[in-house]
Amino acid sequence: MAKTHHGAGRVPRLLARLLLRALPTVVGVVVLIYFFLRLVPGDAADAIAADAGAATSAGMEALRARLGLDQSLITQFGQYVWGLLHLDLGQSVRYNAPVIDLIWQRLPDTVLLMVTAMTIAVALGIVMGMTMARFAGRLPDRLLSVLALVFYSVPGFWIGLMLIVVFSVQLGWLPSGGSGPIGRAGQGWAGVLVKPRYLLLPSVSLGLFYLSIYARLTRASMLEQAGQDYVRTALAKGLSPRKVMFRHVLRNALLPVTTMVGMHVGAMLGGAVVVETVYNWPGLGKLSFEAILSRDFNVLMAILLLSSFLVIAANVMVDLVHGWLDPRIQET
Amino acid sequence: MTDMTTTTAMAPAGSRALRLFLRNPNAVAGMLILATVLFAAIFADLLAPGDPLTMVAQPFLWPGQNPAYPLGTDMMGRDVLAGIIHGSRVSLAVGLAATATSLLIGTLVGAITGYYGGWIDRVGMNLVEIVQTPPNFLLLVVIVAIWQPNLPTVAIGIGAVSWPTLARLVRGEFRAIRGKEFVTAAHSLGFSDARIIFREVLPNALPPVVVTSSVLVATAILMESALSFLGLSDPNRVSWGSMIGEGREMLRTAWYLAAVPGLCIFSTVLAFNLIGDGLNDAMNPRLAGRE
Amino acid sequence: MTKISRRTFNLLAGTSALAMTLPHIAKAEEPVVGGSVTMAVADEPPSLVSLTTTSASTVILSPKITEGLLTFDFDLTPKPELATEWEVSEDGLTYTFKLREGVKFHDGTPLTSADVAFSLMNLKKVHPRGQSTFQSLEKVDTPDDLTAVLTLSQPAPYLLTAFSAAEAPIVPRHAYEGFEDNPVASPNGNAPIGTGPFRFVEWARGSYILMERNPDYWDAPKPYVDELITQFVGDASVRSIGLESGEIDLAGWSPVPLTDMERIKADPNLQVETRGNEYQNNGFYRIEFNLENEYFKDVRVRQAFAHMIQPQQILDIVFMGYGDLARGPVTPSLKKIYDPETPVLEHDPDRAAALLDEAGYPADADGKRFDVTIDARPGVASQIAQYMRNVLAPLGVAVTVRNEDQSAYVRRVYTDRDFAFNAQGSSQLFDPTVGTQRFYWSQNFRPGVPYSNAAAYQNPEVDALLEAAAVENDPAKRKEQLDAFQHVIANDVPAIGLIATHQITIANVNLVNFCTGALGISGNFADLYLKDG
Repeated sequence: MAKTHHGAGRVPRLLARLLLRALPTVVGVVVLIYFFLRLVPGDAADAIAADAGAATSAGMEALRARLGLDQSLITQFGQYVWGLLHLDLGQSVRYNAPVIDLIWQRLPDTVLLMVTAMTIAVALGIVMGMTMARFAGRLPDRLLSVLALVFYSVPGFWIGLMLIVVFSVQLGWLPSGGSGPIGRAGQGWAGVLVKPRYLLLPSVSLGLFYLSIYARLTRASMLEQAGQDYVRTALAKGLSPRKVMFRHVLRNALLPVTTMVGMHVGAMLGGAVVVETVYNWPGLGKLSFEAILSRDFNVLMAILLLSSFLVIAANVMVDLVHGWLDPRIQET
Repeated sequence: MTDMTTTTAMAPAGSRALRLFLRNPNAVAGMLILATVLFAAIFADLLAPGDPLTMVAQPFLWPGQNPAYPLGTDMMGRDVLAGIIHGSRVSLAVGLAATATSLLIGTLVGAITGYYGGWIDRVGMNLVEIVQTPPNFLLLVVIVAIWQPNLPTVAIGIGAVSWPTLARLVRGEFRAIRGKEFVTAAHSLGFSDARIIFREVLPNALPPVVVTSSVLVATAILMESALSFLGLSDPNRVSWGSMIGEGREMLRTAWYLAAVPGLCIFSTVLAFNLIGDGLNDAMNPRLAGRE
Repeated sequence: MTKISRRTFNLLAGTSALAMTLPHIAKAEEPVVGGSVTMAVADEPPSLVSLTTTSASTVILSPKITEGLLTFDFDLTPKPELATEWEVSEDGLTYTFKLREGVKFHDGTPLTSADVAFSLMNLKKVHPRGQSTFQSLEKVDTPDDLTAVLTLSQPAPYLLTAFSAAEAPIVPRHAYEGFEDNPVASPNGNAPIGTGPFRFVEWARGSYILMERNPDYWDAPKPYVDELITQFVGDASVRSIGLESGEIDLAGWSPVPLTDMERIKADPNLQVETRGNEYQNNGFYRIEFNLENEYFKDVRVRQAFAHMIQPQQILDIVFMGYGDLARGPVTPSLKKIYDPETPVLEHDPDRAAALLDEAGYPADADGKRFDVTIDARPGVASQIAQYMRNVLAPLGVAVTVRNEDQSAYVRRVYTDRDFAFNAQGSSQLFDPTVGTQRFYWSQNFRPGVPYSNAAAYQNPEVDALLEAAAVENDPAKRKEQLDAFQHVIANDVPAIGLIATHQITIANVNLVNFCTGALGISGNFADLYLKDG
């Protein structure tokens, strides 16, 4: 360990530290959610029978026995944890398939949606925030501030529906839902090429809210940084305002934005539940909602675990980005 | 700045903030919108008498088609305007009740962890993290699925998933304040912890909490509407979100069914955010001065 | 000339026996080989074989891959599929099926009577309805590879109709080796092999299922379509847009918001079919009372509620006219069984008020009588619950609608029995003994079992009629018993019949033969082809 180069050893050390810190949280989430979910009225057998529209008493008994629902809650939990320790997320009762398969099949679309939405939110948010800061107190700032507030206040699912009305129903420019063309056209390169058309509306609907946050945050922290002593010193030293702006002010102003992005990764999955429903986007958000309805709790647990790890991973990323943005952090 | 120990001492600062607030055009606009929504909510029974879920006319009347139903009728022939007016009650009630819930939990947890620190703080922060780690909208859906969607469960559910933000905020304030001279003074006077927490420290931690509350109301209204949109609402009460959810299938033939209630949610949420901004700007100078 | 022969062909194409005798015509004439058809279903199926589930999407998809012994005309007349001949003994206790020669599963294994025996005995075990449908099936003998002899403990006049691919799929026994105790766990459910016109290729979770043409199909040159893609599209308005844009070629079970039907019907690229529900009779809507409830144990209260309803309003508003009034327990589309003389409790608010007065619920000074909560099976039924709330208000009955998801609804109504009355849609299926008896037979009052007799209705007269009809071999006598049953229920109202909906299938005009019999969209699609390939 001692031999590791300072820079190279940073990531694993950070990871180890964060994992250690996150462990109690993850255990807490698993225990809390597992028992919490069992409070929901009706079980998977009810859901399956409801879906089938028919049942017999022997059939229901057999079903519960097969799903292990006839065992005590503690036994079920023990088996679940035992499976988890062996990296087994269990079976989906609704789809009769390993949970891990379902997750893998839905993950790419969700990641694509979330990354696109986040990129739009961060990029446009920062540009908007910088513009607002540049014209602080003047008309462009006022207008953009109101716009940011509008984005902040509009329900994501509703703006989604209205975008569908305008761009799919009225203008016919963009598809109204799905993550790609239905059927064969969605496979291979052709599918990749048309993907942006399907991605645009959902990621805008999902990203607008966060865009407004980042814009306001960038504005606030840039104004704050601009008032700091080091900026005045730099300017007094004769550095060009543009250089100071990008090298120092923006760099420091981005710190709170990156922190927020890290915090929002988990929340975005929650937002994806609604947006994916509106756009019929086959991602994890939709899957998790369906899992609740069909009492497919292994699937839901897996998604919640995944999102916990996602949050942890986001924290690692944030720390790394902070280190890059602000070298002083590295020393602490 | 140690003289700011009691609420009475805050009064001049408060009135200054109020003046600042009232001079802010955005905040005043927010107040006006909110006043309109409040008016609709309070006088709903006079403005649109009877149950807004009553089927009163032919389904799918477009806005303006029949002067008796200026905003048209929905797929079951219910008056959209009546739904909008009565829906304001649900949005406001849920928004305020949810915020009250999260204020209660968040302030308590934040105050205790921030004040005591040590292992209490660690346990409390772990709890906060556990609640905060899973996407809170998913948690909310589960809570509502457990206790069925009606107004109290939706409100308490939203409060139960959104308190961690407040807890963190209050904790931060408490940590900043607890070392101040007046707190030490209160200790030496032999005041009980409860008294110090609630009478001495809390009032000083309140300004950012007030600002955040306004935003929390806005967020709560958004969450309620998203839940209703997914069909998780009280079917005996008209809510703007449920109107959108029901109108969603008719997006191509009758988009007004989704558009009109959405505008109402948007305006109400905007109003709370404008007010929150106004409060923030009005209180900020004083907050900055305390640093 | 060609026009007529084309039509004639289409008519005949439904009859596979005839089509078989004229293979050269089938080849020379209309059907075009090739092309890809995209079908949309609402939900991702839990399995691709209807052996273990009756989930809607499974029942649509299963018959394409896994066939049945018989298939059925629009009037439920049996036609050969895997069985070429069948015989029911005089006493109704022995069924003999002769299997088609030379039929192979997609893996090349020949179909034998052992597969039939395995499938039927397992249906009895694991199919959600199998236990009741096949309850009298004692054993299946296999005197030779192509003969299956079923022995019943008592006659089952409805049983022959059950041998369709949708209700009784014939699966390859060898695909379930090692899963004899637990057929649900067999990988065959997720990647099935069968004898059908289409072979399973791929299941992209959350997205689509791909099937390809089976070139070795026993009914060559069928099938005509190269590939069948089934996309899961949960949102009705998205399906509607997809059909109009041509992305979706085909969708069934009333796939679009009914408000879109005007547009769809006017669209020159789309065709609309309302047949194809004769077998499953999906979408039969009722109000069901809990007879253990303090209000509804009194028949007068139930009758009073019935007198407040105008089903035509429900038909017009909720179903936009796509359905038939169905006031009794049996759907009118079962023409051989439905009795049009079933008495009806007409709309009569005064009579309703008088009945409630009599029952001991007079109106108070404000006109109020009592409060009661209605549960609704999620979906369209919740609109019916809202309708009930509306029409019962003038009677002084304040109805609260409860919102819960499907699983919570099922748990509350059937297990916890914590409900007063409910609005629900269900499948009536192809015979009352299979689809209707379960709701009214006292022996089927079984808390914990979904879609059982939730009313807790116990009427010895009804029991006797249902039990007699279940084993009655004489169609005329059986009709009498079932008529009597319908009359008793209509007066006793353990449930109020409302609407038997029409199930709409929408297809691109390019598609031919997407609905060739009572199974509708659940047919095997062997005859399906695209006009321009």
